[in-house]
Amino acid sequence: MDPKQGPIVKESKLSQTASETSYQMDDLILRIAKTQDQQAFMELAELASPRLKAYAIRCGADIDDAEELVQECLLTVWRKAHQFNPKTARSTTWLYTIIRNKRIDIARKNKLDTVQSDDLWPEGETEDLEDDVERDLTGELVRTLLQSLPDEQRQIVFKVYFEGKSHSEIAAELDLPLGTIKSRLRLAMKKLDTLAKEQVTWLFIILIMNF
Amino acid sequence: MAFYHPNHELLMQFAAGQLNDALGIMVACHIENCAECRATARNYEQLGGEIMESLDNIELSPDFIARTMERLKDSDETEIEVKIPVVDKRLPKPLQRFLPNKLEQLPWYGFSKNIQQFDLSFSDSHYTAKFYKIKAGKELPEHTHKGNEYTLVMDGAFSDDAGSYHAGDFILADNTTRHTPRAHEDCDCICFAVMDAPLKLTGFWGRMLNPFIS
Repeated sequence: MDPKQGPIVKESKLSQTASETSYQMDDLILRIAKTQDQQAFMELAELASPRLKAYAIRCGADIDDAEELVQECLLTVWRKAHQFNPKTARSTTWLYTIIRNKRIDIARKNKLDTVQSDDLWPEGETEDLEDDVERDLTGELVRTLLQSLPDEQRQIVFKVYFEGKSHSEIAAELDLPLGTIKSRLRLAMKKLDTLAKEQVTWLFIILIMNF
Repeated sequence: MAFYHPNHELLMQFAAGQLNDALGIMVACHIENCAECRATARNYEQLGGEIMESLDNIELSPDFIARTMERLKDSDETEIEVKIPVVDKRLPKPLQRFLPNKLEQLPWYGFSKNIQQFDLSFSDSHYTAKFYKIKAGKELPEHTHKGNEYTLVMDGAFSDDAGSYHAGDFILADNTTRHTPRAHEDCDCICFAVMDAPLKLTGFWGRMLNPFIS
C-alpha cells in the first residue's frame, strides 16, 4: 500500500474537504452523545477509521495492531462522546488526542504502576473559554501552516509526532548535523507561533468589524 | 505564575504523546498551573490532529466495521471513573498517584541533613526522577551537569547565579550550566528533578566501563 498513491487533489480543495469532514464528524459525535445512536457511530467509524489507521501505522503498528488500536479508540469515542465540546475542540483534534492516549495506554497495558495517559492529561480539566470563531480560525491556520512548511521541516515535525525520536536520533537517521535538525524544527515552530499571534490579530479585527 | 517554562520542543513532544514518563509527568505538572503553556500544548495537539488528517487513508479490512459494531454491542457502555486519591493538596494532580504520603512524611534519604532526596517510581533506564529537598538557606555544592537536568520547583524557592526560581518554574540545566543553587531563607525548597543518564563515556573502553549504557 503506497501512501503516495491516490488522486492528486489541489491544496485548497483538500483543505475544504477536510473542513467538511470535520463538521460531519462533529455532528456524528454529538448524535452519539445525545442518543447513543449506533447508526451515527457506524458512520463515524467509516469516516474516521482509515485516517486513524494511517496514524497507527505511521506510529509503527502492524496491520492487526493498527486495527485493534483504531477499535479501542472508537469504543472510547462511544463512551466519552458526552465530553466532546465542538466549541473548544475540533473533532479532528479530539480524535487525535483519543488515539494518542490509547496508543500510550495499550503500550503499557500490563504495567499499571507506570504512567498512563490519564496521569498526563487528567480528565475534568476546565477548558479555557474559546468561541467558535477562534476555533475555526486556528484550525484553518494550523492547516495552512502544515501545507506551507517546506518538506524538510515537515519531515522532521512528522518524525516528532509519529516516531517519538529525539533530535539526535533524527539527525543520525537523516545524516544531518544535530544543529540543522534543531534549527529546522525551530523554524517550523516559530511559524506556528507567528500564525497563532496573527490569529489573535484577526480575531481583534473581526470583533471590531462586528461591533 | 511561573516565569520559567518548558521550551516549545518539549511541549510539542508532550502533545505528540512521545515524551518519556518522567518528563511527561513533569511537563503535565507545569501545565496544570500555566495557562500559557497549556494553550501552546493545545496548539500542538491541533497540529497533531491536522497531521493525522493530512495522511492518506489506509483501507480497512473488509469486516472491520462489522467487527467494531459487534464489539460495541458486547462492550460495557458505562464509563468507569477512577478517582485519584489526593495525597497532598499542594502537589499537581499528575504526581498524586505516585506518592505514598504527604511531602513531609515521604521517606527522604541522603548524606546530609541539608540535602535530602526521594526517588520517584517512574524512572527508567535513561531518565531518573527524584524529589530534592534543600533546607532553608542552605546551598548545594557547586556542580555541573553531565547531560540535561530538568527541574520543576514544587514548594519554596531557590536561587543561583542566573536567577530566582519559585513554585511552578521549569528550569533546564545542561552540561554548560555550572551553578550553586541556594534555597531561600524562609522555607525548605522542594524540587522535582529529572536527569538524563547521568554518565555517558564515549570510546571503546569508556563503553566497556560504563554500566549505564547497554
